Amino acid sequence: MLFFLFLGNAIAQQKVEVTGVVTDVSNEPLIGVNITVSDLPGFGTITDIDGRYKISVDDNRKLIFSYIGFETVEVLVGTKRQINVTMNEATTQLMDELVVTGTGTQRKLTVTGAVTSVDVEELKSAPTSSIVNTLAGRVPGIMAMQTSGHPGKNFSEFWIRGISTFGANTSAYVLVDGFERDLNEINIEDIESFSVLKDASATAIYGAKGANGVILISTKHGKPGKINIDAKVETSYNTRTITPEFVDGFTYASLINEARVTRNNEPIYQQEELEILRLGLDPDLYPNVDWKDKLLRDGAMSYRANVNLSGGGATARYFASASYIEEQGMYYTDETLREDYNTNANYKRYNYRLNTDINITETTLLKLGVSGSLQKRNSPGLGDDYVWDQLFGYSPIRTPIFYSNGYVPAIGTGNQTNPWVSSTQTGFNQNWENNIQTNITIEQDFRDYLPGLRFVGKFGYDTNNTSNVLRRKWPEQWRAERARNTAGDIVFTKVSDPREMFQESSSGGNRREFLDLMLSYSKTLSDDHNLGADVKYTQDAFIYTVNLGDDIKNGIARRNQALAGRATYNWKYRYFFDFNFGYTGSENFAIGHQYGFFPAYSVAWNIAEESFVRNNASWLNMFKIRYSHGQVGNDNLGNEHRFPYLYTISGGAPGYQWAEYGNTKSYGGMYYSQVASPYVSWEIATKNDLGTDISMFHDSFQLTLDYFDEKREGIYMARNFLPLIAGLESTPRANVGSVRSRGFDGHFSYNYKVGEVNLTARGNMTYSKNEVMEKDEENNVYPYQMEEGYRVGQTKGLISLGLFEDYEDIRNSPEQHFGTYQPGDIKYKDVNGDGVINDGDRVAIGSTRRPNLIYGMGFTAQWKGIDVNVHFQGAGKSNFFIYGKTVYAFSEGEWGNVLKDLVTDDRWISADISGDPATENPNAPYPRLSFGGNGNNFRESTYWLRDGSYVRLKTVDIGYSLPKQLVNRVRMNNVRIFMVGTNLLTWSPFKLWDPEMANSRGEDYPMTKSITLGLSVNL
Amino acid sequence: MKKIYLIFLTIVVVGMISSCTDYLESDQYFKDRMTLDKVFTSEEYTEEWLAHSFSFLGGYNMDVASKHNTPHTFADDMYYGDRDETLDIKERGQLSYSRFKLGEYNENEKQGGWGDSYKGIRNASVFIQNIDQNEIFSAEKRADYKAQARFVRAYYYWLLLRKYGPIPILPEEGIDYTKDYDEIAIPRSSYEECADYISREMLLAAKDLPLYRDEQAVARPTRGAALAARAKVLLYAASPLANGNSDEIAQELVDDEGRKLLSTDYNEEKWARAAAAARDVMEMGIYELYVANFRTSGNASFPATITPPYHSEFSEQDWPNGWANIDPFESYRAVFNGTLRASENPELIFTRGQNQGGESIQSMVAHQLPRIGSGWNTHGMTQKQADAYYMNDGDDAPGKDKEIGRGDGSERASGYVTREDMDAGRYKPLTEGVSLQYAHREPRFYASVGYNGSIWHLTNEEEERNREQKVFYYRGDGNGYTNTMFWLRTGIGIKKFVHPRDSYLRNEMGRIVPKAEPAIRYADILLMYAEALNELDGSFTIPSWDGSQSYTITRDISEMQRGVRPVRLRSGVPDYTTDIYGNKEDFRKALKRERQIELMGEGKRYYDLRRWKDAPVEEALPIYGCNVLMNAAQRDLFHTPVPVWSFPTTFSKKMWFWPIQHSELKRNSRLTQNPGWTYND
Repeated sequence: MLFFLFLGNAIAQQKVEVTGVVTDVSNEPLIGVNITVSDLPGFGTITDIDGRYKISVDDNRKLIFSYIGFETVEVLVGTKRQINVTMNEATTQLMDELVVTGTGTQRKLTVTGAVTSVDVEELKSAPTSSIVNTLAGRVPGIMAMQTSGHPGKNFSEFWIRGISTFGANTSAYVLVDGFERDLNEINIEDIESFSVLKDASATAIYGAKGANGVILISTKHGKPGKINIDAKVETSYNTRTITPEFVDGFTYASLINEARVTRNNEPIYQQEELEILRLGLDPDLYPNVDWKDKLLRDGAMSYRANVNLSGGGATARYFASASYIEEQGMYYTDETLREDYNTNANYKRYNYRLNTDINITETTLLKLGVSGSLQKRNSPGLGDDYVWDQLFGYSPIRTPIFYSNGYVPAIGTGNQTNPWVSSTQTGFNQNWENNIQTNITIEQDFRDYLPGLRFVGKFGYDTNNTSNVLRRKWPEQWRAERARNTAGDIVFTKVSDPREMFQESSSGGNRREFLDLMLSYSKTLSDDHNLGADVKYTQDAFIYTVNLGDDIKNGIARRNQALAGRATYNWKYRYFFDFNFGYTGSENFAIGHQYGFFPAYSVAWNIAEESFVRNNASWLNMFKIRYSHGQVGNDNLGNEHRFPYLYTISGGAPGYQWAEYGNTKSYGGMYYSQVASPYVSWEIATKNDLGTDISMFHDSFQLTLDYFDEKREGIYMARNFLPLIAGLESTPRANVGSVRSRGFDGHFSYNYKVGEVNLTARGNMTYSKNEVMEKDEENNVYPYQMEEGYRVGQTKGLISLGLFEDYEDIRNSPEQHFGTYQPGDIKYKDVNGDGVINDGDRVAIGSTRRPNLIYGMGFTAQWKGIDVNVHFQGAGKSNFFIYGKTVYAFSEGEWGNVLKDLVTDDRWISADISGDPATENPNAPYPRLSFGGNGNNFRESTYWLRDGSYVRLKTVDIGYSLPKQLVNRVRMNNVRIFMVGTNLLTWSPFKLWDPEMANSRGEDYPMTKSITLGLSVNL
Repeated sequence: MKKIYLIFLTIVVVGMISSCTDYLESDQYFKDRMTLDKVFTSEEYTEEWLAHSFSFLGGYNMDVASKHNTPHTFADDMYYGDRDETLDIKERGQLSYSRFKLGEYNENEKQGGWGDSYKGIRNASVFIQNIDQNEIFSAEKRADYKAQARFVRAYYYWLLLRKYGPIPILPEEGIDYTKDYDEIAIPRSSYEECADYISREMLLAAKDLPLYRDEQAVARPTRGAALAARAKVLLYAASPLANGNSDEIAQELVDDEGRKLLSTDYNEEKWARAAAAARDVMEMGIYELYVANFRTSGNASFPATITPPYHSEFSEQDWPNGWANIDPFESYRAVFNGTLRASENPELIFTRGQNQGGESIQSMVAHQLPRIGSGWNTHGMTQKQADAYYMNDGDDAPGKDKEIGRGDGSERASGYVTREDMDAGRYKPLTEGVSLQYAHREPRFYASVGYNGSIWHLTNEEEERNREQKVFYYRGDGNGYTNTMFWLRTGIGIKKFVHPRDSYLRNEMGRIVPKAEPAIRYADILLMYAEALNELDGSFTIPSWDGSQSYTITRDISEMQRGVRPVRLRSGVPDYTTDIYGNKEDFRKALKRERQIELMGEGKRYYDLRRWKDAPVEEALPIYGCNVLMNAAQRDLFHTPVPVWSFPTTFSKKMWFWPIQHSELKRNSRLTQNPGWTYND
């Protein structure tokens, strides 16, 4: 039938042969320019090495010349038989920039919601395995923090416009090619567009899934033309930003003694023992091991390689890519085991993607996409966490690495294993994860019937599987007694028998199914009235396929169904009106409570299009003010709360024995083991957004600024504070909480040209502050102890007034109820004035662990082939308490290293020990030492509260593109050599470990600082 | 082309519609789950729901129990010496008797009873609302079961009212937990409202409850249980604490709107209603006090009857008009010590049967038994309680309460039983070496008091030589003062509940005879009847519980005797003199003493002292006991009562009612705390 269609058309026209040359402005021939014929997909040619082409075509058709990086040229054939074309390099105007939204792409000019379109090129310079790590400080509206540098686990957490609920789910809804998929495993090079939808008008169509914002990613598709090959290889050397520093053995032993003596206990080490230790005379009993040196390399390598091919003709196009990432761990491994297996914290990932587009008819397009990834993560046999636990816990004087007789020392098993043994001699664990994602899209243009009507149908199917294999073993381990026997020999106690390698395994898996159908229509009436409408139906299911357990609920798919729509209207691109809605349902709720309607509207006024502006301020290219208001939901209640509307009745509760002694007539108890929560539903966010987009001076200065005000209501919570008179034996759940969050986000960029140097400056900032309006909590007598009225995750604690100066000071201060205390211990403020210090004096101090402010600044300079890109990133309004065995020195006795900071900075030392009254400094940053914990000092207070704000030089990217003439000679388009530095400098008031981790204990794989060398080639 | 589009569109539309319908349906997975309907249409499940509703009567809600969950079995009569941090650091955080007596417990201790009661109330309410759909049960059985649930629900309220004072009474269907906290905040009802509610509910339950339960169902409530519980509630509501109380406690015990929860206006009719309610139980005619037959011969554990001194009126006549044919000692002892099975006990009105848990009466006995019987030797009796018992002729013991300023000028008896005395058969059942202070006491004394030198039979001991032990509490004796927790602070033990066979050898609870818990006993009802009548000045006509008759309730001495006399005669002590019956004050005093004696160790006195408003005096009096620091050679000094140094006493307003825990006050914004207690920590 298609054939007849073409045939029918062909007969009517006259076929002619056209030839020509395509060149650029400097008259250089352009190779591989794509030439198509209007309305005839599947018909076309490309220019040869001299820029020449030849094509047979009907004389009433247009030839369309397109080439990446150049403006498309259309020429009507008519009577011409030779058509030479000069193509201009493309300079896209901001107004024509396309933005991907929930219902397709639209011009930036027409966007009325808060949508940020991310320039993916900008993200590529960061050599990271996950795109998420690049978002903080680059994308306005995204707040992120990376809490670990652990390969394969070093993915940032991120939130769109911060956290606006204390419910189970604060994460954005991420859609890749229209379907919910994991952002961390996608290969950056495959991304065509990346949009962040922030306000209600942009997200309302996602209904009960959009409340936390939406991220839309579409992957690349092939373009007609000759094959285009991109390849990129990078090699990085990673070191650590900040690694905590601990004191050496002698200092450690001296400090232990101080901690003991200052609290009137006998010292652990005698003077002679300290001497032996200092001089290193007895490494068996008085070792001094720098475990950090033994466990951690200075740095580790990582590699990334990527190649993609794209091209095709008018009837079919393809994009194929493959990539490989390897991040090596920083642990030392046992060289002798190297051939056998790896105990390092390595991470590897392979990605592939194939996107094929086929024009079935002139108006029907079929897209097939297949992609997948395979990830492997390695760790030492006892697990990664032990390495850090031990590094922080195992002091230099605990045991040597080996006793001189070859015995393997250890204090105990588990985390008390010898750290070197634990990280290299206990086998290895492997975690595998693989994903296969499939999607099929049919796009049908109904222009023959109703111009402007289009249909898009998508079907997708993903599977995900994980498997963990733990292969563990350990050697025979011994502990030496502190004293030798009378013969002078070391007395050993066996800590563990050897265990040969054994295996444990676990696995997980899930499947997702998607269906997405959309009908859209757009029309322009008399050039002034632009109308558009979309209707969309989606359904999806998420099913666990492995380890379902015995609860029927676990095997039931998590299903959603939605009908969404959108209507837009604008008049002369000046006044814009949008209405969006989502009518979405979830299987998780009771019938009658399954569906919710989420409407939103937005309006915008493009002042720059008004004649009074056009005439008077023509330098103003765009000045748009937009406002949106609407509702979105959040139906993710966390994994364990399936079907909260159901009750569970169980037996097995206490029963009653009705018979008298000597007889039996008893019944077990039957009861509601879980009461129903019938009305439970999703959270509802009511969002307001007022924003402006400004562009001026030929788009060289651009600014977007948004103010947002959101109220999240009906936050799903366990009703933990029902009075006992309710008589419940289980906890019901309800939508009770409410949080308001407000803030702003924005960015600007400025291009400037000095001679041949192109300069760009960029900046962006996101600030979000929330306040709990309502929460399930009991009535506290002191209102400041409620969560209501404070931020979600507000840090609370006592207010420290420094250290007690002397006993006089203690006598004159309110009594502190946390255990005994002496001069040099922390003195707290009696907030409620009741004359005693207890938990009633805990108040809000500082902000939250997660930063409330994220910002970034960047500069790019380009001169001929050289480009330099510098990016700073920072966070503010973040506070966290530090604690744990290293911060609270000797709080776990001899388990726990001591931070060097304790010695190099200042601590309170009794004059009896130091012999100097000046060391009794009431303002010292560390209190009087103690051994085995100190209830008074070691509690959350301003004393241990730290400011987590920081600014860091996130990336410096210097590249050199080889001259075109040179490159073209070897049939290449572009060759760039680059060097990237990441996290090179950090400024922060917090210095013990990386401030971005905001980790209270510091016991995690540090953030990496890296230097990367790379080469990218385009053929 | 058009066709293609049409087909395509049709497929799409049909696809959309077909996938639309039922896509979110999950019911098919849940059809076969357990539902409430299934519970109440199944006999087994219905029984299980009821069983669970009753299960909260154990633990913290026991009426008679050892001290761990609810120390209220202990007051000025009994004490426990263990759980004392000052003697053993391992006991840190435990509520010792001295902390208990000093009110040193806090708002968050021993609070299980509150939540457990309301859990029971909710489960019972669900049962009441759903049982009617059970068609497997006959209509009669359905009514019975519904009434059982109604009984237990009301009984939980009663337990709460007695301990915490006025409490929130919930709506019939319970609290709707889906509502806002503010909406479900419920204030405390007044004492009167609570009592009226419980009384009404008990009446409803009584209608459908049967009169008797067989041995397979002794723990199920009967009509008598419902009526007796109702009588108790009404008596409490008539008592001075809740009736015409204008003291500080009544001024301060208010709800969230300042309404006083204890009636400040005295209403005499409340006494009349209480009396009528007790009479309802008596008129049922199915309860009587247990009596054991007169025994002419016996052995050590079950001795021949010791005949009370001759009384012209009672010695000649057979029970119930006298004691000629009964053994008073065994009559009283057998009611408690497990000799009588619950189903054989004619005076047992309500019992938890076997559902006593870890703090059972057996456990109490394990703490009463002397060290020689492997007992913990920590539960003992105060001098005041020991003095309360009458002499066998109905007189006061010489020197009674002398040390606490209540003596009549007489001195305590001196001297000891000698070998000669024994040979001559004097002072039975005392044996050689026992102080004559313990001679010639009423039978209930010998059934209840482990006086110095009394015989503990311990026949469940494996070794013959460990049985029939005479136990002295002199210092240096195995059972006297030591440097542990396990000695009797007063040198006076407790025999009530102890069966001659009982022993705790190797901590085996199985060696202690199981004992039916006397939650409500007929003797209690009888004494309540007399007590209530005594308070009347006027005459009241009160209908019986079922309206079938009406009682004229006045202070009629013959009616009061109906209550007192059986209790006295069963125990071989003469009835009160007409002088006592004639004088309201004297009678009240005698009646209170009767309850103190008769109901010792049954969890009644702690609450009686409070409802009578006697607690400020009685609970604050110093506790006296024998001088346990004395050894056998200093036995005269041993028997000279001294204050027990480790048991300081006091009474303050916070001790009227148990505190309400802080978290509950924070969660129920309309709830008010009992006077003297705080709202938060």
